[in-house]
Amino acid sequence: MKTAFSRRDFMKLAGMLTASAALPKHLTEVFAAGLERLAESTRVVWLQGQSCSGESISLLNSIDPNPADLLTRYITLVIHQNIGAAQGQTFMDTLDKARLTKDYILVVEGSIPLNMPKACIIGGRTFEAILLEMIPDAKAIVAAGTCAAFGGIPAAEGNPTGSAGVKDFMEHHHLSWRGKLINCPSCPTHPMSIVGTLAYLAAGRFPEIDETLLTPKMCYHHSTHDQCPRYHDFERKIFAEHFGQPDGCLFKLGCLGPLTHTECPHRQWNSGVNWCIRASAPCIGCSWQDFCRKKDFPLYRIGEASHAVSYTEHDRSGGTL
Amino acid sequence: MTTTVSISPLTRIEGHLAIHTASESLPDQKGVRITEARCEGEMFRGFETILSGRDPLDAQQITQRICGVCPISHGMASLTAQEMAYGVTPTRNGRLGQNLVFAANYLQSHILHFYHLAALDFVDITAVLKYNGNDPLLKSLRAWVETAVAQNQIFAGAPFLPRYEVNQYIASDDANWQLIGHYVEALNLRTIAHEMAAVFGAKLPHSTALVPTGITGRITMERILAYKSRLTKLTDFVNNVYLPDLLTAAKAFPNYWAIGVSYPNYLSFGAFRMEEATGERVRTFIPGGVVINGRYQTLDTGKIGEYVGHSHYSSRSGLHPFEGQTTPDTGKGYSWLKTPRYDNQVMEVGPLARVMAAYYAPGGEFFKNEVDAVLASVNLTPDKLNSVLGRHLARGLEAKWIAQQAGRWLDELVPGEPAAKKFAIPKTGRGFGLVEAPRGALGHWLTIEEHKIGRYQCIVPTTWNCSPRDDAGRPGAVEKALEGTHIADPAQPIEAGRVVRSFDPCIACAVH
Repeated sequence: MKTAFSRRDFMKLAGMLTASAALPKHLTEVFAAGLERLAESTRVVWLQGQSCSGESISLLNSIDPNPADLLTRYITLVIHQNIGAAQGQTFMDTLDKARLTKDYILVVEGSIPLNMPKACIIGGRTFEAILLEMIPDAKAIVAAGTCAAFGGIPAAEGNPTGSAGVKDFMEHHHLSWRGKLINCPSCPTHPMSIVGTLAYLAAGRFPEIDETLLTPKMCYHHSTHDQCPRYHDFERKIFAEHFGQPDGCLFKLGCLGPLTHTECPHRQWNSGVNWCIRASAPCIGCSWQDFCRKKDFPLYRIGEASHAVSYTEHDRSGGTL
Repeated sequence: MTTTVSISPLTRIEGHLAIHTASESLPDQKGVRITEARCEGEMFRGFETILSGRDPLDAQQITQRICGVCPISHGMASLTAQEMAYGVTPTRNGRLGQNLVFAANYLQSHILHFYHLAALDFVDITAVLKYNGNDPLLKSLRAWVETAVAQNQIFAGAPFLPRYEVNQYIASDDANWQLIGHYVEALNLRTIAHEMAAVFGAKLPHSTALVPTGITGRITMERILAYKSRLTKLTDFVNNVYLPDLLTAAKAFPNYWAIGVSYPNYLSFGAFRMEEATGERVRTFIPGGVVINGRYQTLDTGKIGEYVGHSHYSSRSGLHPFEGQTTPDTGKGYSWLKTPRYDNQVMEVGPLARVMAAYYAPGGEFFKNEVDAVLASVNLTPDKLNSVLGRHLARGLEAKWIAQQAGRWLDELVPGEPAAKKFAIPKTGRGFGLVEAPRGALGHWLTIEEHKIGRYQCIVPTTWNCSPRDDAGRPGAVEKALEGTHIADPAQPIEAGRVVRSFDPCIACAVH
C-alpha cells in the first residue's frame, strides 16, 4: 500500500516520542487522596449543550468509585439533564437556586453554537444565556469531552452553527478562563478523567494543567503512541495493512496515536476489558484538539480518497492544523 | 377555557426537548385534559453538512457521535450503507461480532431507560426514609438522605430530588424499596452491558472497532468467555428483575394501558442481520415490516419522505432521503426535527413497532407466541400495547429475546477466522443502511462522488416519533399520544412526562 510516510520519518518520530516516555503513577492512587477529602456537599451543576450525552453515559461507567457511590458519597449532583428527577419549571428553578448559592462546580458537556444561539435551547432559554449566567459564579468549570473542550465534531469544517468549545465561548464573551477552566477531552471523556478532575476540585485543589490545552497533566501528558503495547511492531516495521488483520502496528491504517495524548494504554476502557489498539482498531485521535475538524484529514488511511494525506512535522508534535 | 401545560425542558431523556400543550378544563373532574400537543426539538448540530466532502469511512465514526446512548446503531447503519456502496458483505465472524456489540448496547440502553430515565416517574424515592429492613444498600441510602436533611442541605437527595410533588407515586413501601434497590443494581448491570459491548467493540460509548465487513479485533476464546460471563449476569437480571419490575409498575398503574395511545401505525426495518448481506430484504432476527391498522405490509423504502413544513429548515419538503437537504432557517417552524412519513402516513417506531411488526410478519410465530403469553398473563389484547405500559413491556420483552439470541451468536463465532476483510472505496457509489436502534427504525443514506461523501442523510427513530406536524397538519406520534391525557395538576404534569418517556426519545439523534 502506498503511504506518504517514509521509513526515515518513522525513525525520527520514534526518537522524538521515546524521549518523553514515562509511565504515570496509577491514577487511582492519585485520585484516592482527593476523594477522601471531598466535602459532603461539593455541588456539581452538569449542563449539556450541543452534546450527544456521551460524557454522561461514560461517567456512569466509572468503577472507582461506582456511580451510586459517586452520587451519594462524593458529590452532590444538583443538576443533570439525563438522570435528575427535576423536569420543566422544577428543573429551571433548581438551576436558579444552584446559581444563587455561588458555590458549585460547573461541568459543561457539548459545544456552544456561537453563530446560531437558537440551535441549543434549555427551558425556553438559549444555552448561551444560561452559560453566561452560570459561568461567573462557578468555582471551577470542567469542559467534559472534546466538544466542550475544543468544539469537536459540531465545530468541524462546514458546520452550520458556528459551534465552539467553552474556552472559545469564554473568550468570545470576554470572560477570563485562567485558573478556572479545565479541559477533559476525548470522545467521550474517560470516566477516570472526569472523576479525577472533580476529586481535585472538590478537595479545594486545582490540578496541574497544560498551559495551552488546559488539560490535566495527570490524564493527558503522554502520547498514546509512546505508551502503545504495539510499539515494538512499529519499531520492527510490522504493520497491519487492512482491517481484519489483527496483528501489527496500525499506523498504515491511519492510527493517530502519535498525535493523541491520553492514558488509554494504561487505563483502557470499560473497566479495563478492552481499548482501541487492543481491539486492533486504529486510534482516531478522539482527544486531539483537532479531532475530525478538517474534511481532508480522514480518520483512516485506506482507500483512494485517503492517499493525499501526509503527516507533517507540525502535526507530529501535536500542533493544530 | 384553555390552560397551557408545558414541560420545558423535558429531562430524563437524551437531549433537548420541550412539550407545550393546549388543554381544556374538566367540569366534573380535577385537572385538565390535553387537546393538542407540540414536541419541540431544541438542539441542532448539522452532521449531514459536516459529513459531505469527507472520506466515506469517517462516517461510521462521526455518525456514532450523533448519540452517546446508542452510538452502535449509527455505526451499524453507516457501515451497512457503506457495504452496499462498496459492493461488499461482512464475513460471518464480522456479522456476528457486529450483532454482539449491537445486542450488548441494546441491553445497556433498555436498562438505562427503564430504571434511570423512566422509573422516577413511578417510584416514590422518598420511601427510602421509611426503610426499616436490613438491606445494607437501602440502609445506606436512608442514612444518606437523613444526614442531608438533618444538616439542612439545600439540595438534599439530589439528583433524585426535587421532583414533581404529586400524590401519584407507587403507594406500597415494599414495591418502592424493591425498585429503589433495583435502580442501584441496574447502574451496575448497565456498566456490565457496556463492558460486554467493549469486548468486541473496543470501547463504549463510541466503538472504534466497527468497520464495514465486520469488526477489527480478533475472535478468541478468551473474548467469547469475557462476553459470555457478563451475558449470563445480564440475562438473569432481565428475566428475574427487569421483567418482574415492569409488571410491578404495570400493576400499580393499570390505567396506563389506556394512556398514551397513538396512531396504530408501526414501522420496523427488522433488527440484527441473520445473513451476510445488505439492503431492505435482508433476513433479520426480529422480522421487520409495516403495520397499518393491524394490516401487515412489506417494507418499501421508496415510500419514505421527509417534510419540513413545521421545522426550522428552508429546504424542500417531502424529499426522499437520497435527495435530502438540510438548510437551517430559525425563522420558521417550531422544531429542529424534520417530519418523516411513510407513504404519507404518520408512523410510530421503537420496541412497540418492532413487536407489532414481528407479531404480524410472516415467520414471526416465535414473537407472536411470546407476546400472546404475556398478554394472557395480564388479561389484555394486543391493541392494548398501544399505550405507555405497552411500550415499556415491548422493550422488556425484546431485551429478553436479544439476551437469549446473543448467546446463540456467541456460539456461532469461530475463533481464528477473520472478523473483517479487505475492501476499497469506489470512485462513485450509493448505499443505504437500515437497522433498528433501541429507539426504533434508523436509516442512513449515502452517495459517494470522487471517492468522497456526496450526500449523507439520516432518518432517526425519534425523528419519526417526536416529529412536528406534517405539511398536512397531522401531529406526530408523540404529539398524538399526548392528546386526551388527563393532567391532575397543570403545574406539575407528571402524566405527560410518562407518555413522552414511554417512547424513550433521543433528541441528539432525532435532529443530529
